[in-house]
Amino acid sequence: MLLKRKRWLRLFAALMALSLIAASCGDDEDVATDPPEEQPDGEDPPAEEDPPAEEDPPDAGEVTIGVLVPLTGELGEFGAIVADAIEFGVGEINAAGGTQCGTIRTVVADTGGDAETGIREATNMIESEGAVAILGPTSGVMVALVDLAKREEVVIMSPYAGTITLNELGGDFVYRTVSSDLGDGAASGLWLSSRGYESVAFLIQNEESTISPAEVARGAVEGSGIDITDFVVYNPGQPSYQAELTTVLANDPDAIFLAGGQESGVTVIKEAVAGGFDGEWLFTADLAVPEIFGAVGAELINDVAFVEFADADPSLPEFISFEERYDAAGDPFAPNSFDMVTLVALALEASGQCDGSGVNSVIRGVAHSDGTLVSTFAEGKAALAAGDSINYEGASGPLVFDESGTVSGAYTIQQAQDGEWVNVEFYPASTFDG
Amino acid sequence: MLFLQFLTTGVVTGCFLILATIGFSLTRRVEGFLNIAHAELLGVSAFATWWLNAEMGWHVVLASTAAIVFTSVTGLFVARLIYDPIRERGPAVLLITSTGVAFVIGGVIDALIGTGIRTLDIGLATSYEPFGIRITNYQLMVVALAVIVSVSLALFLNRTRTGLAIRAMSGNPELAASRGIDVRTTSRATWLLSSGLAGLAGVMLAVLATLTTDLPFAQILQVLAVAILAGLGSLYAVILSGLIVGIAMDVSVYWIPAGYRPLVAFSVVILVLLFRPEGLAGTRAA
Repeated sequence: MLLKRKRWLRLFAALMALSLIAASCGDDEDVATDPPEEQPDGEDPPAEEDPPAEEDPPDAGEVTIGVLVPLTGELGEFGAIVADAIEFGVGEINAAGGTQCGTIRTVVADTGGDAETGIREATNMIESEGAVAILGPTSGVMVALVDLAKREEVVIMSPYAGTITLNELGGDFVYRTVSSDLGDGAASGLWLSSRGYESVAFLIQNEESTISPAEVARGAVEGSGIDITDFVVYNPGQPSYQAELTTVLANDPDAIFLAGGQESGVTVIKEAVAGGFDGEWLFTADLAVPEIFGAVGAELINDVAFVEFADADPSLPEFISFEERYDAAGDPFAPNSFDMVTLVALALEASGQCDGSGVNSVIRGVAHSDGTLVSTFAEGKAALAAGDSINYEGASGPLVFDESGTVSGAYTIQQAQDGEWVNVEFYPASTFDG
Repeated sequence: MLFLQFLTTGVVTGCFLILATIGFSLTRRVEGFLNIAHAELLGVSAFATWWLNAEMGWHVVLASTAAIVFTSVTGLFVARLIYDPIRERGPAVLLITSTGVAFVIGGVIDALIGTGIRTLDIGLATSYEPFGIRITNYQLMVVALAVIVSVSLALFLNRTRTGLAIRAMSGNPELAASRGIDVRTTSRATWLLSSGLAGLAGVMLAVLATLTTDLPFAQILQVLAVAILAGLGSLYAVILSGLIVGIAMDVSVYWIPAGYRPLVAFSVVILVLLFRPEGLAGTRAA
């Protein structure tokens, strides 16, 4: 998943322009001059702190969980899916009587995908709202929150932060119910290598979360003897990507692997097709949304476009059960989000403590042990009350946290067919073992 | 041939930068400050065009025209409401204020438009290949508009009473006022014109790109680069510097990775300023 951080541009632009004023002072006779004492010193005005969240304070019989997601910006649609799935999970937990710490109360804040906003909102959730866990940050926000989580001993968990930075930083108070981006790269490489292509071009958005998996995919593709005609890393936010496409189109590859966001991805697709590209595509998760068909034009990608993303195993009984209970179970990362809040609630129930430290101390054991197999909070609560240890099998699949707090992942390949994404291949987590 | 393809793409990029920067430079020249909110006016126009075209079903030409007019009026409204009352505090305060205005406009667009991507209801671009060089009808439109705007603006500034008043004000506001030029009316005409030009650039942004609420402001650094290279004053130099930056960025992809395009733009600016600190226009704007 990509992280968008554009707001810094405003301040940067202002600083840059201020320095220009200083540099050009006296050179330009057209400038309306000011008395020297009115010139600013070049520093940003102090940012005003946001007021505390307006939710009601927690009651004695409640325990607070922060939901920190992007509800605005390019990833807003994903943030809404995550927030809704968490609320569904909270509903089930509270319907089962809540945890031994009380019923779950959520405090929701929008990061807009911005790390600075994420830190501010997370701090507010911890210090003002008493959150014991913060769920739902995107990659960049997760990385920014690592120090805060460990210092405040609050668990942070994400259902879609695939960044490989967390492969190093995660594991203690920092978890995710999705696999690392490197897994996406392996799945993409496997798919590209299996299609019989003679040549493939890579178009990669200039983000750590896309470049790292693309490098993994490149290794797999090269290992299969396929010619990689181009490996172009481009910057998003451009009106056009014609310059980046020039050599790609000139080399006429059989397929293009496009690892980019929706903004850049749609423009690239349209410009490539207009430029005569008639091969196949493989997209990454950000383009796995139905809106792509309206934005690109379904007729341009039907049958020739595929998308790869981390997904739940639809054959698992836990997923089928989840699907029966929750209408939006098939939305991207909905099962992972449900698992996240259920795990935290079970950890609260199992630890005997009502804080992040307690959750952190038992969450690995709750997610994977030799104990009673459970797939809902109610089942887990009953087993714990009976004195059993539990093994939570998630709607998104088995949740075995590795040293970095990351789970193994399964991946789905979907094909564009008649204006919608249709499953054509599923790679279970076992595909990538060893 | 591949090099010529990059060159052609660079000319188109340069023409877009001309459209995006020329209004910005006009404001700078007449009003005396860098209006950072100019980039968000591109967003006002782009999303107004999208709303009228894709949501309301208007033909894209009609939607674009209405969006440009709306952006023009919005720019004037903001100027009168925000900038006029603090004008005497000087360009630095106006600059900082314009950054705040950019936040406000961006926030309003965020609130109204919401998440995700937006595209106009227009067909896929048609490609032509004269002499083996690929160019689309939308790219040709950008080039044509840049030429038309540049010529029209030059004629306007040199042949019309309002245009001459704008030039006089940009040269020396006090002298212009003492010679009977209505400074207030001229200022308003400038805001209408510069905001309208931002509106035109916003329309082309909507035609070429996939819109997100972040996208318009993402253009500000390149706009600043072109404006700096031009010398922050001359409109003719804006045309030249827009082409230089656009061609330098796109042709550079022939030799170096595309991820360094912004670096190339600013390297060109730094290099030029090292030898010509006042920019291409010199100390006296054309």
